[in-house]
Amino acid sequence: MFRYLTRLPLRTPLALACVLALPALGCTDTLLNVTDPDIVLGANSAASAIGLANGAVLRLAQAVSGTQGPDALFMFGGLLTDEWRSGDTFIQRNTMDQRIWDPTNTFNAGPFRNLNRVRTQALLAIDGLRTYQPDSLAAIARMFAFLGYTEVLLGEHYCNGIPLSGVSGTEVVYGDPITNDSMFKLAIANADSAMTIAGSDTATPRLKAARFAMVIQGRALLDRADFTAAAAAVATVPDTFHFDVTHSLNVNDNQMWALNASARRYTMGDLEGVNGQPYVTANDPRIPRKIGTSTKDDPIFDTSFPLLVTRQGIWGRTSAVAIATGIEARLIRAEERLHAADATTWLSILNSLRTTTTLYPPIQAGFTRGPNLTALTDPGPSNKDSLRVDVMFHERAFWMFSTGHRLGDMRRLVRATTAGGYGRADSTVYPTGAWFKGGNYGDAIQMALPVEELNNPNFHGCADRNP
Amino acid sequence: MRFAIRSTLRAALVLGGLVGGVGAVALAQQGTVAGRVTDQANGQPLAGARVTLMGTSLIAQTNVEGRYTLSRVPGGQVTVRASAVGFGAASRVVTVNPGETAVVDLALALSPYSLDEVVITSTGDQAKREVGNSIARIDAAKLVETAPITNVTDLLIAKAAGVDVLPGTVTGAPSRVRIRGTNSLSLNNEPVYFLDGIRVTSQNRSSGVCDVGCAPPSRINDLNPEDFESIEVVKGPAASALYGTDAANGVVVIKTKHGQPGKARWTVYAEQGAISDNNDYPDAVRGWRSSTTDTSAAANSRPTNGTQCILTQVASGACVQDSVTRFNLFQDPQTTPLGTGHRQQYGVQVSGGSDAVRYYMSGEWEDEIGQTKMPQFAADSLLGLRQISAVPDDQLHPNGLRRTSIRANVSANPNSRIDLEGSTTFITSKLRVLPSDNNTTGLLSNALGGPGNKTNGRYGYRAFTPNEMFSEAIGQDINRFIGSGTGRWRPTSWLSFRAIGGVDYASRMDTDLCLRDNCVNFATIKTGFKQDDRTTFFQYTLDANATASFTLSPTITSRTTVGGQYFKTKNDLSVVLGENLAGGATTVTGAAIPTVRESTTVSATVGGFIEQQFGFRDRLFINGGLRADDNSAFGKDFKTVWYPKLSVSYVISEEPFFPKWSWINSVRLRGAIGASGVQPGTTDAARFFLPQTASVNAVDIPSLVYSAVGNNALKPERAREYEIGGEATLFDSRVYLDVTYYNKRTSNALIARQLPPSAGGPINRFENLGAVVNRGIEALANLHIVDKPAFGFDLTVNAAYNTNFIADMGGLPPIIGTTTRQIQGYPINGWWQRPYTFNDANGDGIITANEITVQDSAVFVGYANPRWEAVYVPGFDLFNKRLRIQGLFDHKSGYYQLNGTERIRCESRLNCEGLVDPKAPLWEQARVVALRETPSRTQWGFIEKATFVRLREASATYELPAVWAKSFRATRASFTIAVRNLWKATGFSGIDPEANYFEGATGIVSNFQTSPPPTYWTFRLNVGF
Repeated sequence: MFRYLTRLPLRTPLALACVLALPALGCTDTLLNVTDPDIVLGANSAASAIGLANGAVLRLAQAVSGTQGPDALFMFGGLLTDEWRSGDTFIQRNTMDQRIWDPTNTFNAGPFRNLNRVRTQALLAIDGLRTYQPDSLAAIARMFAFLGYTEVLLGEHYCNGIPLSGVSGTEVVYGDPITNDSMFKLAIANADSAMTIAGSDTATPRLKAARFAMVIQGRALLDRADFTAAAAAVATVPDTFHFDVTHSLNVNDNQMWALNASARRYTMGDLEGVNGQPYVTANDPRIPRKIGTSTKDDPIFDTSFPLLVTRQGIWGRTSAVAIATGIEARLIRAEERLHAADATTWLSILNSLRTTTTLYPPIQAGFTRGPNLTALTDPGPSNKDSLRVDVMFHERAFWMFSTGHRLGDMRRLVRATTAGGYGRADSTVYPTGAWFKGGNYGDAIQMALPVEELNNPNFHGCADRNP
Repeated sequence: MRFAIRSTLRAALVLGGLVGGVGAVALAQQGTVAGRVTDQANGQPLAGARVTLMGTSLIAQTNVEGRYTLSRVPGGQVTVRASAVGFGAASRVVTVNPGETAVVDLALALSPYSLDEVVITSTGDQAKREVGNSIARIDAAKLVETAPITNVTDLLIAKAAGVDVLPGTVTGAPSRVRIRGTNSLSLNNEPVYFLDGIRVTSQNRSSGVCDVGCAPPSRINDLNPEDFESIEVVKGPAASALYGTDAANGVVVIKTKHGQPGKARWTVYAEQGAISDNNDYPDAVRGWRSSTTDTSAAANSRPTNGTQCILTQVASGACVQDSVTRFNLFQDPQTTPLGTGHRQQYGVQVSGGSDAVRYYMSGEWEDEIGQTKMPQFAADSLLGLRQISAVPDDQLHPNGLRRTSIRANVSANPNSRIDLEGSTTFITSKLRVLPSDNNTTGLLSNALGGPGNKTNGRYGYRAFTPNEMFSEAIGQDINRFIGSGTGRWRPTSWLSFRAIGGVDYASRMDTDLCLRDNCVNFATIKTGFKQDDRTTFFQYTLDANATASFTLSPTITSRTTVGGQYFKTKNDLSVVLGENLAGGATTVTGAAIPTVRESTTVSATVGGFIEQQFGFRDRLFINGGLRADDNSAFGKDFKTVWYPKLSVSYVISEEPFFPKWSWINSVRLRGAIGASGVQPGTTDAARFFLPQTASVNAVDIPSLVYSAVGNNALKPERAREYEIGGEATLFDSRVYLDVTYYNKRTSNALIARQLPPSAGGPINRFENLGAVVNRGIEALANLHIVDKPAFGFDLTVNAAYNTNFIADMGGLPPIIGTTTRQIQGYPINGWWQRPYTFNDANGDGIITANEITVQDSAVFVGYANPRWEAVYVPGFDLFNKRLRIQGLFDHKSGYYQLNGTERIRCESRLNCEGLVDPKAPLWEQARVVALRETPSRTQWGFIEKATFVRLREASATYELPAVWAKSFRATRASFTIAVRNLWKATGFSGIDPEANYFEGATGIVSNFQTSPPPTYWTFRLNVGF
């Protein structure tokens, strides 16, 4: 047949066809070899390992105070508590503020995913650092502390039955749901690892990582009602210690500023729903605030409601957020003393903090701080020591406003005493009654795991909604 | 993979040669066929007619005298066929003696429908009778002269059955095109576009400038429809297999005008138009209250506060409603942002040439100012605030488009064996974008959300007024060049080559500027900002094929095509943003907080194909083909994708056994099956990290963020489709019927699989999971009911029905959105919500929460996209066909739309009737209470049937008598008065069921604070010289 073809007057065109086709035949690899400069395919070097660790820092800032729509945890979780009210038209923020239990709330997945991103990124960084920068003990310790910190936040904010999944190469490793208490145990273990790796070195980075881990461990132990161990864990953390997430114009805005002070989508809570703390009316120096007065510049974003925004004055656009502090360490110790019926020491610790004005948070320009605090007097014994417990949690609420502590505290207040809680009724702790935009408050006492988690075959919804 | 493609192409070439060899034996001696093609009715020559020699690759075009020559014709008996647009074909068998010229003159009879009409396929031009699938042809050249066509999308709306177009609603806004339903859960569902053989950019996404709340224009609407000769819509994989990966959503093939031999023919046109918004906007309603004991703002309605007494509060006794007031700022001359827009365009076209070289050149200038205007109070406010004498015109009219385009097509025939064509287009445009839709600082978010009175300090606007909103200058500048070249070479009578190469280059600059203290007082906007995004789009096409055509026997012909294609797309984006501008500063340089960003998107496809066609007695055609593709976005473990196709076309009416009834002119049956695909995104297969800046201890330093899990096995979606149908021409071609059934299954469906958030990775990962099915029927009927010189009446009806559902979710749980869900067994983007019942149990005329029963779980409400579309086009010809009056009624039904505008008015603007007005019907009250006061917060009551009928187009065209035209040295002249969107009927309670913007890859539509379609009136004058 081929011989036959060669006799025909079509040799020339056929040869030309082949010639035309040859470039395509021979260089498909070249033609398809495109490079996308936006992405980095591998992170296999010392510099990459550091980059991954820095990425974990970025992920942490995004998770707690650096993202909106869906919002970071400190703000979105704060809606469920008495810290923040929705000044917004977004249904997602409104339902959270109204304490509607809704796993399909499309803002739910954001903070949950971002917390887990911190975990995943920290684990990648730990692998990278151990391989390429094994001497970076401070960085490795910090990554373990990040693991512990996110586990505490997960355990405090979300219902029981939280899966911890991960990735391996291009595969997703699906996690099994675990209880809040197991989450706290994990946090304690990871904080332990962080402290062990940081060692007793007093160089600032390692020491800072160690102290950060101590506060995390103390917090997790407190969540487990292991008061003695909690107090012991934080004993050496100085009052002035603070571990911050930082923000910058190039990276991300502090959302306490962006969503509240700037965009007026959030407004500060004040005695919200009967039970709320008087964050505004107390005029407390720990929470500088400004009540809006101008109907032109100060209405909440949802202008349909006759409400002027109340702005917090702790944080500006790039202000750092202290996520673990020596103050928290002292408050853990104080609660341990209260639990041990040592009201004198308990009160002494609280008053020492209150009267040390240098511990007050920074204040933004244009805001005025309330008068310096005076020492508290002991309200004295009461049924279940409830008056002192009120004081304890009031102090915690004001010292650690909008830093992701309040929801865990409210859950501890309503948790059964047999489970280490204070056994109060939901209706005496959470905002209740009529919600200011219509309807009544719902019954959510923690954040729902998002419906998106159903993509994990091991997850079938919250195990329970117990506090 | 590469090896597979190489092997395929080698095999294809050899096969082509083998098949070719069979018939080549007869090629020893050659002659010539020449002749003339004329109009049978008057004997006038037909220029531009296509003359082919059946069973060979030989082709010629008649010159201005109707003459043609076919050289190198093999000796023996051959069949010569001539065809022309608007005429039926004619053919004749002639014996060609070697070295001699056989004369074949052919006369063509007028016929609006011909099976010999030429259609464009991926492998070249073919007669319609040879193609086994449905291809819709749109006569673009005619439409632009006689209908209210302002952009390319207007040419597609309601013109072809199965092509659903959601038009843009303001000047420059994009449109959404769906052909035979929605195929993909997660990928782009838009068709691909080819212009004179090369692929052109059709993106309708933005660079990020006002990407929420501003309609990013469709790049396809950059093109000037005046330059189009025709548009052919290749509807599905059964037909688009050889267009390769990315063609599963259909292919829109645009053919531009080309010159015909003869002296220069000039066409000059001018158009003037007016644009108005005649839609009904809802009143803002308010329930007032006052307290005799409490003087606080919380207890007393004031014009400037939000205190109201709403119906459920009345029912509970929480307040007493003093009165209800209404205000509609769209109806108040002082406050309305609606005015009359203006449109004008002027163009000139010239074409002509010789038998050897022909040309077509055009130029057009177009200017459109949308209907939105700054109200007088706002303009007055600016004059006072800024101490200026006049408000800049682009703030008075914040939506406009100005465009200039030029095009040149040159065709040359250096000899009878070679055709060369070159085409160039240059377009430059400037668009001013209206901030609207889902936009805090957009027009309708504020105009529809007001408090129900004019005295709130903002003239009834909610938070911001037009003087503030329109001071934000959002613009898009385009400079675009499209160049292509086509070469055809017919070295022998049986072999031809075609090569096409071209590039589509677009430079886009998106800008967004708020001068310091000039825009709204929201977040950081008041301090001013400037964003400047610059994108370059490159789309390269290389396409080469060889076709061997033979007459294997007196009754059997063969056509073999082997070819390859290469497409490459590269988009580069640079973004600079500056915040906190110095007073008067307009650049990022003048900003205190500058940030920068860049991104690149690049992908390439290499494909090879072979197509084999056998024809039997010129009435039965069997066509098979196979294409192999590789793409840079496929996973590294995935190899070649193969797309086969097979089609049959059978002109059964030409069979001897077919009844020869006089009323049947032709009947054709056809069927096709084929596959095509849609490729994944450029980086969807890769596991990667993104470099980002982190703030570590308050110092900005670089970081790497884990961003994609990757999928080594990623491959394209594969859509398999079969279609069967037929066409019939009846009653002396006065009736034409066309029916097609299709069944399309998209398997290996690329789903952006949501990853469990607990994995701590990206939100999703593309995986080949599941399947989507689209089935439907398309029908077209053209009826020339009365065809007299004095009066003619014709009616065209096209209709389409589509059923869409997710056949398989690949084991994934449902994807649940607030109001839409992706659930197996239900349509893509179907509406889901918890239904309720209500009963005014206490008879007080007010529905309260305890009078509503909401179901525990969401139920399927309905389709999000129309299942039915029927288009009715009646036309009347009067005065010896000098005057033609035509309408186009567009009817869509079988779907639902979330009335998002009313939802937000009731939920958080608190100014809707159902919330406030005791006269509101109970159903309106119920949906508000269910939304606001039941724990479910269900939006069920706002998801409404979106059925409508719209007078989409109406026009009257008058062709001036020739003597009148001659009086100003013209050969012809006509004028057209046309109107778009003149009237509609709908039960949808919102402003308009088509007042939608769309977003995301799948194009979910939102009827949410979006401008409704305006009415265009245009007057056009066409003059030919």
